[in-house]
Amino acid sequence: MTDATPEPQQLRALFEEQAIPFMDQLYAAAMRMTRNPADAGDLVQETYTKAYAAFAQYQQGTNLKAWLYRILTNTFINSYRKNQRQPYQNTIDDLEDWQLGSAESLTQGRTTRSAEAEAIDHLPDSDVKEALQSIPEDFRLAVYLADVEGFAYQEIADIMKTPVGTVMSRLHRGRRLLRERLADYARQRGFSEDAISGSKK
Amino acid sequence: MTDCGCEKAKAELEEYLHRELSAEDFRDITEHLENCEDCTGEHLVGLTITQKVQRACQETAPEELRARVLEILG
Repeated sequence: MTDATPEPQQLRALFEEQAIPFMDQLYAAAMRMTRNPADAGDLVQETYTKAYAAFAQYQQGTNLKAWLYRILTNTFINSYRKNQRQPYQNTIDDLEDWQLGSAESLTQGRTTRSAEAEAIDHLPDSDVKEALQSIPEDFRLAVYLADVEGFAYQEIADIMKTPVGTVMSRLHRGRRLLRERLADYARQRGFSEDAISGSKK
Repeated sequence: MTDCGCEKAKAELEEYLHRELSAEDFRDITEHLENCEDCTGEHLVGLTITQKVQRACQETAPEELRARVLEILG
Protein backbone atom coordinates (compact mmCIF):
# COMPACT_ATOMS: atom_id res chain seq x y z
CA MET A 1 0.00 0.00 0.00
CA THR A 2 2.84 2.36 -0.72
CA ASP A 3 1.42 3.76 -3.94
CA ALA A 4 -1.01 6.61 -3.92
CA THR A 5 -4.33 5.86 -5.59
CA PRO A 6 -3.81 6.34 -9.32
CA GLU A 7 -5.68 9.06 -11.14
CA PRO A 8 -8.69 7.93 -13.22
CA GLN A 9 -6.74 8.57 -16.42
CA GLN A 10 -3.90 6.37 -15.23
CA LEU A 11 -6.36 3.67 -14.14
CA ARG A 12 -7.97 3.66 -17.54
CA ALA A 13 -4.62 3.33 -19.29
CA LEU A 14 -3.48 0.59 -16.93
CA PHE A 15 -6.72 -1.30 -17.38
CA GLU A 16 -6.49 -1.10 -21.13
CA GLU A 17 -2.89 -2.22 -21.10
CA GLN A 18 -3.22 -5.00 -18.49
CA ALA A 19 -6.78 -6.32 -18.43
CA ILE A 20 -8.03 -5.96 -22.00
CA PRO A 21 -5.44 -8.41 -23.45
CA PHE A 22 -7.17 -11.21 -21.50
CA MET A 23 -10.35 -10.80 -23.55
CA ASP A 24 -9.85 -13.78 -25.86
CA GLN A 25 -9.10 -16.04 -22.90
CA LEU A 26 -12.04 -14.76 -20.86
CA TYR A 27 -14.30 -15.17 -23.88
CA ALA A 28 -13.10 -18.74 -24.39
CA ALA A 29 -13.84 -19.54 -20.74
CA ALA A 30 -17.22 -17.82 -21.00
CA MET A 31 -18.03 -19.92 -24.07
CA ARG A 32 -17.40 -23.10 -22.09
CA MET A 33 -19.48 -21.76 -19.20
CA THR A 34 -22.51 -20.44 -21.07
CA ARG A 35 -22.24 -22.67 -24.15
CA ASN A 36 -23.29 -19.96 -26.60
CA PRO A 37 -21.67 -16.85 -28.13
CA ALA A 38 -24.39 -14.35 -27.17
CA ASP A 39 -24.33 -15.22 -23.46
CA ALA A 40 -20.55 -15.54 -23.51
CA GLY A 41 -20.25 -12.01 -24.91
CA ASP A 42 -22.63 -10.63 -22.28
CA LEU A 43 -20.76 -12.43 -19.53
CA VAL A 44 -17.41 -11.02 -20.66
CA GLN A 45 -18.86 -7.52 -20.92
CA GLU A 46 -20.31 -7.76 -17.41
CA THR A 47 -17.00 -9.12 -16.12
CA TYR A 48 -15.08 -6.18 -17.55
CA THR A 49 -17.65 -3.72 -16.25
CA LYS A 50 -17.25 -5.06 -12.71
CA ALA A 51 -13.48 -5.38 -13.04
CA TYR A 52 -13.12 -1.79 -14.22
CA ALA A 53 -15.33 -0.52 -11.40
CA ALA A 54 -13.17 -2.41 -8.88
CA PHE A 55 -9.83 -1.82 -10.56
CA ALA A 56 -8.75 0.82 -8.04
CA GLN A 57 -8.84 -1.95 -5.41
CA TYR A 58 -6.80 -4.36 -7.49
CA GLN A 59 -3.31 -4.51 -6.06
CA GLN A 60 -0.70 -4.06 -8.77
CA GLY A 61 1.76 -6.91 -8.90
CA THR A 62 -0.70 -9.58 -7.77
CA ASN A 63 -2.13 -12.09 -10.22
CA LEU A 64 -4.42 -10.08 -12.50
CA LYS A 65 -5.48 -13.08 -14.54
CA ALA A 66 -6.68 -14.93 -11.43
CA TRP A 67 -8.42 -11.75 -10.26
CA LEU A 68 -10.30 -11.46 -13.57
CA TYR A 69 -11.24 -15.14 -13.55
CA ARG A 70 -12.59 -14.76 -10.02
CA ILE A 71 -14.90 -11.99 -11.23
CA LEU A 72 -15.87 -13.97 -14.33
CA THR A 73 -16.68 -17.10 -12.33
CA ASN A 74 -18.62 -15.18 -9.66
CA THR A 75 -20.60 -13.35 -12.28
CA PHE A 76 -21.38 -16.56 -14.09
CA ILE A 77 -22.50 -18.35 -10.95
CA ASN A 78 -24.62 -15.46 -9.72
CA SER A 79 -26.22 -14.28 -12.94
CA TYR A 80 -26.20 -17.04 -15.49
CA ARG A 81 -26.30 -20.28 -13.64
CA LYS A 82 -29.62 -19.30 -12.06
CA ASN A 83 -31.18 -19.30 -15.50
CA GLN A 84 -29.95 -22.73 -16.40
CA ARG A 85 -31.46 -25.96 -15.26
CA GLN A 86 -28.83 -27.61 -13.13
CA PRO A 87 -30.52 -30.44 -11.26
CA TYR A 88 -27.35 -31.72 -9.64
CA GLN A 89 -25.84 -28.35 -8.88
CA ASN A 90 -25.57 -28.59 -5.14
CA THR A 91 -25.07 -32.30 -4.87
CA ILE A 92 -22.62 -33.13 -7.62
CA ASP A 93 -19.66 -33.40 -5.25
CA ASP A 94 -21.60 -35.82 -3.07
CA LEU A 95 -22.43 -38.28 -5.81
CA GLU A 96 -20.72 -41.62 -5.61
CA ASP A 97 -18.46 -42.62 -8.47
CA TRP A 98 -20.85 -45.31 -9.66
CA GLN A 99 -23.56 -42.66 -10.04
CA LEU A 100 -21.35 -40.76 -12.43
CA GLY A 101 -20.79 -43.72 -14.69
CA SER A 102 -18.28 -46.46 -15.14
CA ALA A 103 -15.50 -46.35 -12.62
CA GLU A 104 -13.49 -48.99 -14.35
CA SER A 105 -10.11 -48.16 -15.70
CA LEU A 106 -10.58 -47.63 -19.40
CA THR A 107 -7.77 -49.65 -20.75
CA GLN A 108 -5.24 -52.05 -19.45
CA GLY A 109 -1.77 -52.62 -20.67
CA ARG A 110 0.72 -50.40 -22.39
CA THR A 111 -0.14 -51.05 -26.02
CA THR A 112 -3.79 -50.23 -25.49
CA ARG A 113 -2.90 -47.07 -23.56
CA SER A 114 -0.75 -45.68 -26.32
CA ALA A 115 -3.49 -46.59 -28.82
CA GLU A 116 -5.99 -44.77 -26.61
CA ALA A 117 -3.78 -41.68 -26.54
CA GLU A 118 -3.42 -41.80 -30.30
CA ALA A 119 -7.15 -42.23 -30.85
CA ILE A 120 -7.90 -39.27 -28.58
CA ASP A 121 -5.25 -37.23 -30.34
CA HIS A 122 -7.03 -37.73 -33.68
CA LEU A 123 -10.41 -36.46 -32.47
CA PRO A 124 -11.64 -33.19 -33.98
CA ASP A 125 -11.95 -30.13 -31.72
CA SER A 126 -15.75 -30.32 -31.98
CA ASP A 127 -15.76 -33.73 -30.26
CA VAL A 128 -13.49 -32.47 -27.51
CA LYS A 129 -15.71 -29.45 -26.88
CA GLU A 130 -18.84 -31.60 -26.84
CA ALA A 131 -17.24 -34.04 -24.45
CA LEU A 132 -16.23 -31.20 -22.16
CA GLN A 133 -19.72 -29.74 -22.40
CA SER A 134 -21.26 -33.04 -21.37
CA ILE A 135 -19.58 -33.28 -17.96
CA PRO A 136 -21.12 -31.63 -14.87
CA GLU A 137 -20.47 -27.92 -14.65
CA ASP A 138 -18.33 -27.81 -11.50
CA PHE A 139 -16.13 -30.58 -12.85
CA ARG A 140 -15.91 -28.87 -16.24
CA LEU A 141 -14.85 -25.58 -14.64
CA ALA A 142 -12.14 -27.23 -12.57
CA VAL A 143 -10.79 -29.05 -15.63
CA TYR A 144 -10.93 -25.88 -17.69
CA LEU A 145 -9.11 -23.77 -15.11
CA ALA A 146 -6.40 -26.38 -14.56
CA ASP A 147 -5.86 -27.78 -18.04
CA VAL A 148 -6.62 -24.86 -20.34
CA GLU A 149 -5.58 -21.95 -18.14
CA GLY A 150 -2.91 -23.69 -16.12
CA PHE A 151 -4.04 -22.28 -12.78
CA ALA A 152 -2.55 -23.88 -9.66
CA TYR A 153 -4.92 -25.89 -7.46
CA GLN A 154 -4.84 -23.17 -4.79
CA GLU A 155 -5.76 -20.51 -7.37
CA ILE A 156 -8.65 -22.65 -8.60
CA ALA A 157 -9.79 -23.07 -5.00
CA ASP A 158 -9.82 -19.26 -4.64
CA ILE A 159 -11.64 -18.76 -7.94
CA MET A 160 -14.27 -21.41 -7.23
CA LYS A 161 -14.44 -20.57 -3.51
CA THR A 162 -13.98 -24.15 -2.47
CA PRO A 163 -11.32 -26.11 -0.52
CA VAL A 164 -8.31 -27.47 -2.43
CA GLY A 165 -9.45 -31.02 -1.65
CA THR A 166 -12.72 -30.36 -3.48
CA VAL A 167 -10.80 -28.95 -6.44
CA MET A 168 -8.72 -32.11 -6.62
CA SER A 169 -11.78 -34.32 -6.43
CA ARG A 170 -13.60 -32.32 -9.13
CA LEU A 171 -10.54 -32.42 -11.36
CA HIS A 172 -10.05 -36.12 -10.89
CA ARG A 173 -13.66 -36.99 -11.56
CA GLY A 174 -14.01 -34.47 -14.35
CA ARG A 175 -10.96 -35.79 -16.16
CA ARG A 176 -12.09 -39.36 -15.73
CA LEU A 177 -15.52 -38.60 -17.21
CA LEU A 178 -13.88 -36.64 -20.00
CA ARG A 179 -11.61 -39.57 -20.79
CA GLU A 180 -14.60 -41.91 -21.00
CA ARG A 181 -16.50 -39.56 -23.30
CA LEU A 182 -13.46 -39.09 -25.53
CA ALA A 183 -13.03 -42.85 -25.75
CA ASP A 184 -16.73 -43.09 -26.74
CA TYR A 185 -16.21 -40.57 -29.53
CA ALA A 186 -13.10 -42.35 -30.70
CA ARG A 187 -15.02 -45.61 -30.79
CA GLN A 188 -17.86 -44.03 -32.76
CA ARG A 189 -15.39 -42.69 -35.26
CA GLY A 190 -13.81 -46.09 -35.58
CA PHE A 191 -10.37 -45.07 -34.38
CA SER A 192 -8.34 -48.00 -33.15
CA GLU A 193 -11.45 -50.08 -32.71
CA ASP A 194 -9.64 -53.11 -31.39
CA ALA A 195 -7.63 -51.12 -28.90
CA ILE A 196 -10.53 -49.38 -27.22
CA SER A 197 -13.52 -51.62 -27.80
CA GLY A 198 -12.85 -53.96 -24.91
CA SER A 199 -12.59 -51.22 -22.33
CA LYS A 200 -16.16 -51.08 -21.11
CA LYS A 201 -17.18 -54.67 -21.56
CA MET B 1 10.58 -47.76 -1.59
CA THR B 2 10.30 -51.50 -1.68
CA ASP B 3 7.58 -51.83 -4.33
CA CYS B 4 8.04 -50.92 -8.00
CA GLY B 5 6.58 -47.48 -7.41
CA CYS B 6 3.57 -47.95 -9.67
CA GLU B 7 1.03 -47.45 -6.94
CA LYS B 8 2.50 -44.13 -5.87
CA ALA B 9 2.96 -43.05 -9.49
CA LYS B 10 -0.59 -43.91 -10.52
CA ALA B 11 -1.98 -42.06 -7.54
CA GLU B 12 0.04 -38.95 -8.29
CA LEU B 13 0.10 -38.79 -12.08
CA GLU B 14 -2.61 -36.15 -12.22
CA GLU B 15 -0.78 -33.90 -9.79
CA TYR B 16 2.40 -34.64 -11.68
CA LEU B 17 0.73 -33.49 -14.88
CA HIS B 18 -0.46 -30.30 -13.20
CA ARG B 19 2.91 -29.61 -11.56
CA GLU B 20 1.43 -29.78 -8.09
CA LEU B 21 3.99 -32.15 -6.55
CA SER B 22 6.88 -31.27 -4.29
CA ALA B 23 10.30 -31.27 -5.99
CA GLU B 24 11.10 -34.58 -4.34
CA ASP B 25 7.89 -36.33 -5.43
CA PHE B 26 8.24 -34.84 -8.90
CA ARG B 27 11.71 -36.36 -9.17
CA ASP B 28 10.49 -39.73 -7.93
CA ILE B 29 7.70 -39.88 -10.50
CA THR B 30 9.93 -38.69 -13.33
CA GLU B 31 12.41 -41.38 -12.44
CA HIS B 32 9.68 -44.00 -12.25
CA LEU B 33 8.27 -43.00 -15.63
CA GLU B 34 11.67 -43.52 -17.23
CA ASN B 35 11.54 -47.16 -16.23
CA CYS B 36 7.86 -48.06 -16.40
CA GLU B 37 6.10 -48.34 -19.75
CA ASP B 38 2.75 -48.92 -18.14
CA CYS B 39 2.79 -45.67 -16.16
CA THR B 40 4.31 -43.84 -19.13
CA GLY B 41 1.32 -44.94 -21.24
CA GLU B 42 -1.07 -43.75 -18.56
CA HIS B 43 0.74 -40.42 -18.35
CA LEU B 44 0.63 -40.08 -22.13
CA VAL B 45 -3.17 -40.44 -22.12
CA GLY B 46 -3.41 -37.75 -19.43
CA LEU B 47 -1.06 -35.44 -21.29
CA THR B 48 -2.95 -35.96 -24.55
CA ILE B 49 -6.27 -35.09 -22.92
CA THR B 50 -4.81 -31.85 -21.54
CA GLN B 51 -3.30 -30.86 -24.88
CA LYS B 52 -6.48 -31.67 -26.80
CA VAL B 53 -8.62 -29.65 -24.41
CA GLN B 54 -6.20 -26.72 -24.59
CA ARG B 55 -6.28 -26.71 -28.36
CA ALA B 56 -10.05 -27.19 -28.70
CA CYS B 57 -10.86 -24.35 -26.34
CA GLN B 58 -9.06 -21.55 -28.16
CA GLU B 59 -11.40 -18.68 -29.09
CA THR B 60 -11.10 -15.18 -30.43
CA ALA B 61 -13.43 -12.60 -28.96
CA PRO B 62 -15.68 -11.07 -31.67
CA GLU B 63 -14.83 -7.53 -32.75
CA GLU B 64 -18.22 -6.22 -31.67
CA LEU B 65 -17.53 -7.49 -28.14
CA ARG B 66 -14.15 -5.76 -28.12
CA ALA B 67 -15.89 -2.53 -29.13
CA ARG B 68 -18.57 -2.96 -26.45
CA VAL B 69 -15.95 -3.56 -23.77
CA LEU B 70 -13.82 -0.58 -24.78
CA GLU B 71 -16.94 1.55 -24.52
CA ILE B 72 -17.10 0.70 -20.81
CA LEU B 73 -13.84 2.56 -20.33
CA GLY B 74 -15.43 5.72 -21.72
